[in-house]
Amino acid sequence: MNINCDDRERILLDGSPEEWAALEQHANTCAVCAEELRAWKQLSAAAGELRDYQESPALWARIESSLRQQQAAAAPRKSFWSSLDFLRHVSPAWQSALVGAMVVALAISSGYLYTHRPVSPVDPGNKLLKTGALAEVERTERDYMSAIDKLAADAGPQMGADTPLMASYREKLLVLDSAIADLRAQAGGNPANAHLRYQLLAMYQEKQQTLQDVLETKR
Amino acid sequence: MRALSQTFAILPSSIPQEKVMGSVGLTLPWEHKLSAVARDGERRVEPFEGKAETVRISEELPQDEAVAAACLGGNLQGYERLYQWQGTRMKNLARNLLGSQADAEDAVQETFLKIQRSISGFRGQSSFVTWTFRILVNTCHDLRRSRVRRKDQVNEDVDALPPRRELRAPGAHPSLRMALESALGRLTAHQRDVFLLYEVEGFRHAEIAGMLEISETASKNTLFQAKKNLRTMLEPPRGSATGGAQ
Repeated sequence: MNINCDDRERILLDGSPEEWAALEQHANTCAVCAEELRAWKQLSAAAGELRDYQESPALWARIESSLRQQQAAAAPRKSFWSSLDFLRHVSPAWQSALVGAMVVALAISSGYLYTHRPVSPVDPGNKLLKTGALAEVERTERDYMSAIDKLAADAGPQMGADTPLMASYREKLLVLDSAIADLRAQAGGNPANAHLRYQLLAMYQEKQQTLQDVLETKR
Repeated sequence: MRALSQTFAILPSSIPQEKVMGSVGLTLPWEHKLSAVARDGERRVEPFEGKAETVRISEELPQDEAVAAACLGGNLQGYERLYQWQGTRMKNLARNLLGSQADAEDAVQETFLKIQRSISGFRGQSSFVTWTFRILVNTCHDLRRSRVRRKDQVNEDVDALPPRRELRAPGAHPSLRMALESALGRLTAHQRDVFLLYEVEGFRHAEIAGMLEISETASKNTLFQAKKNLRTMLEPPRGSATGGAQ
């Protein structure tokens, strides 16, 4: 193998054993390469001075103690998933079989629980009572509205008077009618809401009282 | 050294040794025996006689797998085997990276704890030793950073700082070691890592690539650059060379 000075760095970087041998042979006749080669080897030899493989007698005891502590601290926190680590050592076919068995077991237990679920005791009378109560409220409300409409009809002539007091009553009744319309719309969407019914009743009572005030003014 | 004797072996030199040592160039004032060993296409220059303990990882694969399996099983004896096998080597690397024996022992201890915490993530894509040393190198870097932060030197490039050096037991050539340590401190952290792993700890470029998460070519290039820089640093000032081969 023919080697010259230009090959030196390449061989020092990544030369094959044959190239190194050729470089050494070339160095026998080339002072520059001989010096470079010598310095290169000296560095490797000098690195041995940094090798101090003396034992530290207490070090393993220290490490072992800390490993035990860490192991003890980690044991209670072992997660469900880490407990399945053993699966990594099981072949994929057995892993699939195990997963399939788990799915079947889950399906069977779910079916058992569904068929043996406790039946909640539903009192049919209670349900009918609620429906009946709602119907009674709605019927009473309709009657109440009808009665108030009759009252409004009675107060009609007096309401047409062009006095500031009657104007104030008219304005108040408009506000009440608007509020009643809103509440009825809400109650229509949620008829069983007792709170809305109470508010609606309060509005009707207020309208009734206002109409009575108008009629008393007439007298 | 019981464990070491099981796992380290003196490899015979396959390349003739130099008979005449020149004095031009590096000022490394010692006489030493050089041997270069070709191993799996890599060429390695062996250090002093009696310390030529180059690790033959390829022959240790069964042990590597056995130790990995024991550690994976949560067996503390697995960690003890790892310590007996690689503990002194780990401590030596940490010592050279951190510059202090106490810091090195802390780094080794922290490395074992990290191994225990993350052993379930070891997939065997590299050897267990490679994986272990990757954790060790990262731990050493972390310790250096935290050490510098403690000193409120956050504005400096931490990795560029040389390791803090403390006195250690005198070796065969204390002046050489000190000169080399000082020069290593002026290398980049990356060059220092590669030089120590390859030249001191005897790892192959393929293993170093796995530890530092770089390519094998990058490892070779970095070592080449590190040695060139070291040579420049250790070279005597021009005109001070005395005699020797030209």
